[in-house]
Amino acid sequence: MDNWFGEVEISDDGDIEKCNLSGRDPKELAERIRQIQKKANAFPAGVELRELARKCDFAADDSEYLSILQQACVEAARESIKESYTPDLPIIHAVGAIDDVDEAVNLLAERLSVWYGDHFPELDLKTFDLASFVETRGLRDDVSPDDAFYELTKNSMGCPMNEKDGLILKGFAGDISSLYERRSALEQYIRDNMEEVAPNLCYLAGPLLGARLMSMAGSLKKLASMPSSTVQVIGANNALFKHLRSKAPSPKHGIIFNHPLVKSSSPRNRGKISRALAAKISLAARTDAFSGEFHPSIKDELDKKVASIESRQKKEAHK
Amino acid sequence: MRVQEISSGIYETQGGRKKQIATRNLVPGNTVYGERTLEDDSVEYRIWNPRRSKLGAMAVRKFQMPFSKDSRVLYLGAASGTTVSHVSDMVPEGVVYAVEFAPSTMRQLLRLCDARKNIVPLLADATRPVSYAHVVEPVDVIFQDVAQANQAEIAVENAKQFLKKDGYLLLSIKARSVDSTVAPEKIFKEQLKILSAAQGIKLKIVKKQNLSPFHIDHMGVVAQRID
Repeated sequence: MDNWFGEVEISDDGDIEKCNLSGRDPKELAERIRQIQKKANAFPAGVELRELARKCDFAADDSEYLSILQQACVEAARESIKESYTPDLPIIHAVGAIDDVDEAVNLLAERLSVWYGDHFPELDLKTFDLASFVETRGLRDDVSPDDAFYELTKNSMGCPMNEKDGLILKGFAGDISSLYERRSALEQYIRDNMEEVAPNLCYLAGPLLGARLMSMAGSLKKLASMPSSTVQVIGANNALFKHLRSKAPSPKHGIIFNHPLVKSSSPRNRGKISRALAAKISLAARTDAFSGEFHPSIKDELDKKVASIESRQKKEAHK
Repeated sequence: MRVQEISSGIYETQGGRKKQIATRNLVPGNTVYGERTLEDDSVEYRIWNPRRSKLGAMAVRKFQMPFSKDSRVLYLGAASGTTVSHVSDMVPEGVVYAVEFAPSTMRQLLRLCDARKNIVPLLADATRPVSYAHVVEPVDVIFQDVAQANQAEIAVENAKQFLKKDGYLLLSIKARSVDSTVAPEKIFKEQLKILSAAQGIKLKIVKKQNLSPFHIDHMGVVAQRID
């Protein structure tokens, strides 16, 4: 029987028959611990291991036993952590990063809009356009006569600002537009990676929606092990709990609403199409998580299914 | 400042009006998660916040704390180690087998293991005790804080495998993770029934109490193995 410090055979009356000790190097022991952990029913629980270790001359006393065990387990945990990084993890972080950037950039863009608005209220630009305008042009006086916005600068009711104000605003606007750039770089990163990590999910749901589903589920494996009815309502937490607690209707879709097939469907079909889409998303996630092969047929089947749902409704309408 | 031992390894301090519990720091000068410390008779104590720790809340509520300085403890759901560190304080000559499933939280727990040599980290699934049976010995205490839907079953399974006779099982039942749509009181009843009606092991419920307001919808339970 294998335990963490060696292979021991015990007779029926509790005597030790054979003792095949492992080395004492923490790395070697850690490898051993991890190997046995993967096996099913490797060792019976509830054995006085430290006593056994003493009898086999592995460790002379409790403190020696515990000290070796602790070092080995720390090493084993470190190795397992190292192995636990999966390729879907950076995508999930990138989705989180997009959310963080969005939150920050909205806040900053709003501040810029209010601040610059004091100076040039006639300029009716928001968010990205405003940030790049301020970054490239600066104050009203700096707008050149051949600029499309030149006309607006004349007779502005905004307050005058000096060079110092212009510099700080320009810098601030520059930071904001670089955040907008960062956001699209993150999106591009997700697109590139999704194609490799989850080709089926990516092809079926689109890279960004697919990544978001993965991130909300926790990982590709977790998404794959969800029932498709759960996939259908990921992101509809409030509606779902309301439904479960009281008699509210069940939500038809969570974030999969953002899929063009669902978004463009008529309200009568939306539930059916969401269900069909969720089923195929599950299938795609499972294929990605467990085989990794690319099957474009999943999408064809979905398209067929959606077409049949829509034609059925048309027929009913004719009756 | 007056520090008084109210149970093995757990101290009560009377600083001003407020009473607080604390454990004796195993690694003086070293704090774990930004908790406050205090010194009495040149011994360092770490204040234990019952709002951050279910076991701490149970201690404040005068649950029987079955730890002694050489206890062997199996801790299921160790997370980043806030509570584990206090258990480690309480069993300076014993050992805490700290089981945690998530690699990223285990990373933080490992930092704790550098300084505290009585914590044995196990990156494993508490629902599969067989995956750490080759490492864990019979233990005096099992503490479980796993927030899983089948947490009573997990506790029973681990107690069956590792808990010594007369040993204690402490657990915090989180009603919201068992089923968020059912009234907590009903869940507590069901989970307690699973504990006391378990096959192959006899658990006697010694004390049970709701942990609010420290933790909402949580019940602390102490059970003793009597078979």
